[in-house]
Amino acid sequence: MKKEDTVKLISSEGFEFVVDKTAAMVSHTIRNMLTSPGSFSETQHGEVTFPEISTLILEKICQYFYWHLQYASGKETEFHIEPEITLELMMAANYLHT
Amino acid sequence: MTSECLLCSASTSASGEEGEKKEQRGLVELCIEAATARSENVNKWRRQRRTLERLPSHLADAIIRRLLHRRLLFPTLLEVFRHSVEEVNLRGESCVDAEWMAYLGAFRHLHSLNIADCKNINNNALWPLSGLNSLKELNISRCSKITDSGIKHLLSIANLEKLSLSETGLTSDGVMLLTSLTNLHVLDLGGIPVTDKALCSMQVLTQLEYLDLWGSDISNIGAATLIKFLNLSFLNLAWTKVTRLPNLPSISCLNMSNCTIDSIFDGDHIAAAPLLKLIVTGANFVDSDKVLSKLQAHFLTFLDLSFSIIDNWNFLVNMEHLEHLDLRYSQITDILIEKVALSWENLRYLNLSNTLITSRALSVLAGCIPNLRYLILSYTSVDDASLAYISLTTSLRVVDLSHTAIRGFTGAGPEDSDRTLSFGAFQNLVHLKSLNLEDTKLVDGTLRPLSLIKSLECLYLKSDFLTDDSLHALASLQNLRLVSFRGAMLTDNGLLSYVPPRMLSTLDLRGCWLLSSDAILSFCKTHGRIDVRHEHVRVSSPDQNVSCSSSPFSATSANLSRHRMVKSPKASISKSSFVDERIKYSTEELLQLEHSFLSSCPPKDLQILPDILRRI
Repeated sequence: MKKEDTVKLISSEGFEFVVDKTAAMVSHTIRNMLTSPGSFSETQHGEVTFPEISTLILEKICQYFYWHLQYASGKETEFHIEPEITLELMMAANYLHT
Repeated sequence: MTSECLLCSASTSASGEEGEKKEQRGLVELCIEAATARSENVNKWRRQRRTLERLPSHLADAIIRRLLHRRLLFPTLLEVFRHSVEEVNLRGESCVDAEWMAYLGAFRHLHSLNIADCKNINNNALWPLSGLNSLKELNISRCSKITDSGIKHLLSIANLEKLSLSETGLTSDGVMLLTSLTNLHVLDLGGIPVTDKALCSMQVLTQLEYLDLWGSDISNIGAATLIKFLNLSFLNLAWTKVTRLPNLPSISCLNMSNCTIDSIFDGDHIAAAPLLKLIVTGANFVDSDKVLSKLQAHFLTFLDLSFSIIDNWNFLVNMEHLEHLDLRYSQITDILIEKVALSWENLRYLNLSNTLITSRALSVLAGCIPNLRYLILSYTSVDDASLAYISLTTSLRVVDLSHTAIRGFTGAGPEDSDRTLSFGAFQNLVHLKSLNLEDTKLVDGTLRPLSLIKSLECLYLKSDFLTDDSLHALASLQNLRLVSFRGAMLTDNGLLSYVPPRMLSTLDLRGCWLLSSDAILSFCKTHGRIDVRHEHVRVSSPDQNVSCSSSPFSATSANLSRHRMVKSPKASISKSSFVDERIKYSTEELLQLEHSFLSSCPPKDLQILPDILRRI
């Protein structure tokens, strides 16, 4: 996998998730960060830090990105969300516009 | 207006559902779904206080809405939302009482509260709202237990901008108290006996833009004081004794239905804002020409003259901006239409039902209404000759021809060769989505041209003369979502060999008395996604909640309702919207029923029940 095709998403605890750019683009917020003109550090380094999102939630969000792509390509499975994290995940998803 | 809504509702609701299915739901939506799926899930997150405090209001509002819909919301749970929720709509929830209100009173950011039709709300229940300064909108319409003393609790909500009090127990004295709410923009006092004196005292409410006074005791004296409300743009005086309305320059929407109208905007009308909407349903004009032609209603876009008695229609000639024209039950005739019809380029909605017009009126209108979307001609004597004229208005979306003399063919001959199928002209209507042909004189074979209207989504048919052939003739309409084929001679074989279109979600077969329950059951099994309506099908909507399920066999109420059934089987049948009059029980059958219940059968085992009850 080439470096240009991936993005690094960093959680509040500093945990790094390397995901495909296409997957991360499911989030409108991330898409805007990566594609906006100008020299944002996000655009240049392909790194986005989320000081508000914990590792556990960010992992779930990355899972959702890939599930979303699969679903869009016709593989209809269910995306399970543990009730304990629904609120946190909802707020993160709201922030990321996914 | 309502008929328009009814007509569109079928098509819009269908398209809404479909959009939901196709469009992939975002993660936020999935989370809301997961959070509100069942009460165990709720218990998992309701203790996460710090997270709940940070919850953005639109997410909190959405969760509350979903919890309410799922019947998972109860007073103590409301507490967790007190930092986040801005909008609460509990309309029509009879469980809402003082306890709910006590929790809602603690909502620090509550902006809008709707507790209309909550039967258990009384004066004391409103007390927690006093001093709730975040509140801007409050709707307590039809909470009939609320009286003047309850209103006192609201007077301290200084920021209140919208207040709906219609059909509460308020008197004129209570209305006079409202004068302290000087920020009010919208005030709905419908159905309250507001007197002229009370209206006069309300002059201090200078911000008022919307004032609803239907059914009040206002007379011409009170109406004269309305000129003091300089910002008023909406005024409803329906069912009042007002006959003369002074010149109100800011009014853009006026409702004087069921009034005796002597004059509107007396004197020289210098309009600050043009009158756009006039509703005079069932009004009795002293001199309709004088009232309506003096109105200078060039800019009128919405005109409802239904049920009113009008002797001179010349005023219509000036109204070239009309978008909505309702002439139901009026005395409009073909000749009058010829006189007044002009180029109504903006007209979107035209209702001529229950009038004396015939196909001739349509021939006149054909060129005048190039952008019409809705055409309602039910209960008129239009016949097949009109169809060619109707089809010239290619922008039509909804056409209602129910209860008319439409036969589906022209030519008198009994043989097929003598007939010309009149619906052939409708293939020009490339946008037509809904067509109502109920209770017309349609016969088999005349519906074939309808299969050329590819855009059709809703089709309503009801005729004793239609058979299997007609249903099958429609099979090529792939966009149909709703087919109503009522009272027809549809047979079991006809139904089972019917291949429904891919998108079909509702099939209404009520009154098709030849169908057997087995055939319908087997059709439902094969086409699970289709909601079939028939006397043999138990009515249940998919989103119905367990708690309000009407099914007599839901686990909780099984014992109770069975007991009732033994006593009066017929009564319980009619309760569950089972209207098949042909079912009669013999004494032997009743005895058999009783016996089967007395023998202690396990409650969930429906197989033991006699055939006749299993169908309910």
